[in-house]
Amino acid sequence: MAITLFTRRAILGALAAAVLAPAFAQDGPVRIGYAIARTGPWSAGAQVTQEPNYIMWSEQVNARGGLNVKGKKRMIELVALDDRSDMETVVRSYEKLMGSDKVDLILPPWGTGANFAVMPLAQKHGYPMLSPTATGRKLLEMKNPYFFALLQQPDRMMTALAEFLVARGAKTAAVVYVDELFGLEQFAGLEAALNQKNIQIIEKKSYPIGVKDLQPVLNDIKVKNPDAFIALSYPPDTFLITGQSKAIGFNPKLFYAAVGTAFPVYRDKFGPTAEGVMGLGTWNPKTGPATKAYFDAHVARWKKEPDRWASAHAWAGLQILEQGVAKAGLDRKALRDTIANSEFDTIIGKMRFRNGENVSTPGVVSQWQSGEFEVVWPPQNATAAAYYPKPDWK
Amino acid sequence: MAFWFELVATGLITGGIYALVALGLNLQYGLMRIMNISHGEFLMLGAYLTWLGHTVLGVNPLAFLPAVALALFVLGVAVYWLCFRRIVRTAPAVEVIEARSLLVGFGLLFLVQNAAYLMWGADLRGYSFLAEPIEIGGARLMANRLVIFAFAVGASLLLLALLRWTLIGKAVRAMMQSPVGAQLVGIDTRVLHPLVFGLGLAMAGVAGALLSMVYEISPGMGEPYTVTALIVIVLGGLGSALGSLLGGFLLGLVEAFGMHFTSLSLKMLLSYAVLIGVLLARPKGLFAR
Amino acid sequence: MTRRDSMLATLTAALALSALPWLMSDFALALTLTCLMYAGLAVSWAMFCGATNYLSLATAAFFGMGAYVTAWGADGLPYGVAVLLGGLTAAAFAALVGAAVLHLRGAYFAVITFGLGELVRHAITYYEKAYAGTVGRVIAEPPEAIPIYFAVLLLTALAVLAALAVRSSRLGLALRGIGSDEERARTLGVNTRREKIVAFSLSAFFAGALGAAMAVRWTYIDPLTVFNPFIGFQTVLIAMVGGAHTILGPIVSALLFSLLTEFLRLQFPYLFLSLLGLLLILLVLYLPGGLASLIDRWRLGARWRRWKTDA
Repeated sequence: MAITLFTRRAILGALAAAVLAPAFAQDGPVRIGYAIARTGPWSAGAQVTQEPNYIMWSEQVNARGGLNVKGKKRMIELVALDDRSDMETVVRSYEKLMGSDKVDLILPPWGTGANFAVMPLAQKHGYPMLSPTATGRKLLEMKNPYFFALLQQPDRMMTALAEFLVARGAKTAAVVYVDELFGLEQFAGLEAALNQKNIQIIEKKSYPIGVKDLQPVLNDIKVKNPDAFIALSYPPDTFLITGQSKAIGFNPKLFYAAVGTAFPVYRDKFGPTAEGVMGLGTWNPKTGPATKAYFDAHVARWKKEPDRWASAHAWAGLQILEQGVAKAGLDRKALRDTIANSEFDTIIGKMRFRNGENVSTPGVVSQWQSGEFEVVWPPQNATAAAYYPKPDWK
Repeated sequence: MAFWFELVATGLITGGIYALVALGLNLQYGLMRIMNISHGEFLMLGAYLTWLGHTVLGVNPLAFLPAVALALFVLGVAVYWLCFRRIVRTAPAVEVIEARSLLVGFGLLFLVQNAAYLMWGADLRGYSFLAEPIEIGGARLMANRLVIFAFAVGASLLLLALLRWTLIGKAVRAMMQSPVGAQLVGIDTRVLHPLVFGLGLAMAGVAGALLSMVYEISPGMGEPYTVTALIVIVLGGLGSALGSLLGGFLLGLVEAFGMHFTSLSLKMLLSYAVLIGVLLARPKGLFAR
Repeated sequence: MTRRDSMLATLTAALALSALPWLMSDFALALTLTCLMYAGLAVSWAMFCGATNYLSLATAAFFGMGAYVTAWGADGLPYGVAVLLGGLTAAAFAALVGAAVLHLRGAYFAVITFGLGELVRHAITYYEKAYAGTVGRVIAEPPEAIPIYFAVLLLTALAVLAALAVRSSRLGLALRGIGSDEERARTLGVNTRREKIVAFSLSAFFAGALGAAMAVRWTYIDPLTVFNPFIGFQTVLIAMVGGAHTILGPIVSALLFSLLTEFLRLQFPYLFLSLLGLLLILLVLYLPGGLASLIDRWRLGARWRRWKTDA
């Protein structure tokens, strides 16, 4: 008897819900998919620069009520996979996300190689991708309409460095670079810029990835006494070169190491030794109130600082996505067109793309000063004046 | 003159680390034919423990070494008990032990590395210790690298001395020469196997602790060292502890000189060419019996 | 099963599998591709190493070489030709290297073959940088998914057929003889050196061809990604877990391993490697005969149970 009553009530309740539900109906969540390196060699970079931003962004947007899709707010649901720093896994994961799961939007993986692999898929399935950790002419030469590179391209960053050298009257430079597409392209950009500014390259040497000792090379360069020493290096080499230069007392007027200097761990490891070292950066909390807010939120959420180069680009890319979806909704073709043809407000300033390249953010030179990676050139973007010549190793 | 000294010193310092890691692996392989491909992961654990000790507890990394060695020794005994003992006991032939322990080693590699990623994240970590240059004979070397060298060589020599002059050491060498013969003369392999395995892992942990003073650490840092250790063992001769020590130095020197005389990019080519050359001339390694 | 029956079974399976591209989503097809690739790699690895008890870690070297052949031939070489050329290049390299190092055994051989992968990688990096002024190449016009699938399917089927053919041939007999006692084989008149080189090259052909076939999926080829030692390790793992002295074992193992890895990766995005490692350890400790022993048990059924209790 009681059961029948219960059943009847349940049926009535279900019917009521079914009838009334449409009135309270919410569109489902916006599914945003990505594969990123959580394990393997790419993970060190991916877990500093990219994934923490992806997660924090979706949390912040959801806290504000959801992603604005042409006026209607919908919650974000992240569909995230570990790509294990393996190309085949990257390709397969995105085939799943775009082809089978048919997520609404995608976010790119980490690194130039993985982005290369995803680009054709993004074009085939029609998903725009805004990449904060892919750089190189070769990528842009693919002329993929769905690919947008957020980072400043090598020629831009290297020209800024060359301009700084000219402004300070440096005459000679010694360059080492890593045997990778990144190193080669940066070097090509640097060589062109320095030749144009009549700064002489008195030594240029390349080295393989994973090198364990560069002291002999550094000794040779020290003897030649260049005004500037520029290492177009990856994080492990950057750390190595810093330590070994200090060991042999090699202290040129300008000491520049490309990638890795922007990571907080560089300052954590080297402490006062980092003083005066320059490298690839773009921002720091002093750049503006928006960057300060971003910095504080990141530290509060992750108990660790974002890096001073591409982390901001990652965040900017997410901001652009947000603004684009607000205007164009989830029609991905319209979204792509919006991204390609509009100017956006981001924490690192206005950003606009031309043929997939971010042509707004200028190339800059950054330098560690008293525990912060200050932007020291060009003057209009600087957060501090540069130390030149570099103070002696502490 | 100072330049050559620096070059040799660099080669020996790198070689010292190689030797230390290789010795640990050699103990396990030479004695029990256990191909522990996860050896480097325990090196990584030693590095992380030291980093934690230094940054969280403020302990001097050198003073922390015995703690790291002990912790990894205990872990090693546990790992042997859980994972390898069954294989050594039930396998019908030596090649089978090699094959199965290789597979188990892979399993351990995944397990330990993933645990590290979960616990500490993928970010690079590092600290500076004794990062001051020292001048010796006109050459400038970092103090921490010299310290690493001293400890690596010290630990290796200590092990060699143990093997040669203590009773346990003799028992271990006997087992390495002939497992059956050793058992016949009453050596208790049930006790010695886990001990030696633990000792091998302890040495890996100490190597990791020393490395953390100079290089950055990350969960994936162990694999290249496992590979290098295998090369050194093969170069020096399986089962020969002295061979591992000298093989490590040789590899370090080849790398240092190779880098200087040829292009940097050819360094690895040279190392492997040397390895292949040695094995062609002496198929069992330089010092094998 | 007789050899003819096994071959027919293989061809039938291949035929059935060739219908999949029109039945499956991109992702499911990609997963099938991975299963097939590892099946092909594992079977060809076991073809040589299973019988002779050698431990070769050279798969990564051959795979990478094949991949680079495709990359170099991207402008102008038709896909099929590139795949064939990739296989032949790897086979030639294996023959050359094999002549120098196949007299080594055990851990020595393993380390040397691992070193080959690194050696080739560094050699190619150096050559590319010094003479081509680049590191890494872009495959601007990769083939569609269906040709890639058929290439891999064909190669895997051929690998299985080759393994079957070898197993019941004089070569196979010689290899098994070398595996159990090389000295004895030599005294019985087997030219061990030649047989080993032939088998090693044959097995390398498939690894190289598969590398050439798969690399086009990644658009950008550079030494670090294509000479990934993990491919070599995984091949060895799969073959040994499956039972390297059989042919069905590695195939089943490749299937299960790929599916299991993918399932774990999708379900447990943070933990899956730990789970995989744990499973592997448990498997080796409690099922030491590998999957092949399970297959045998299933095949022999009652007879196996009786044999076990009688023994």
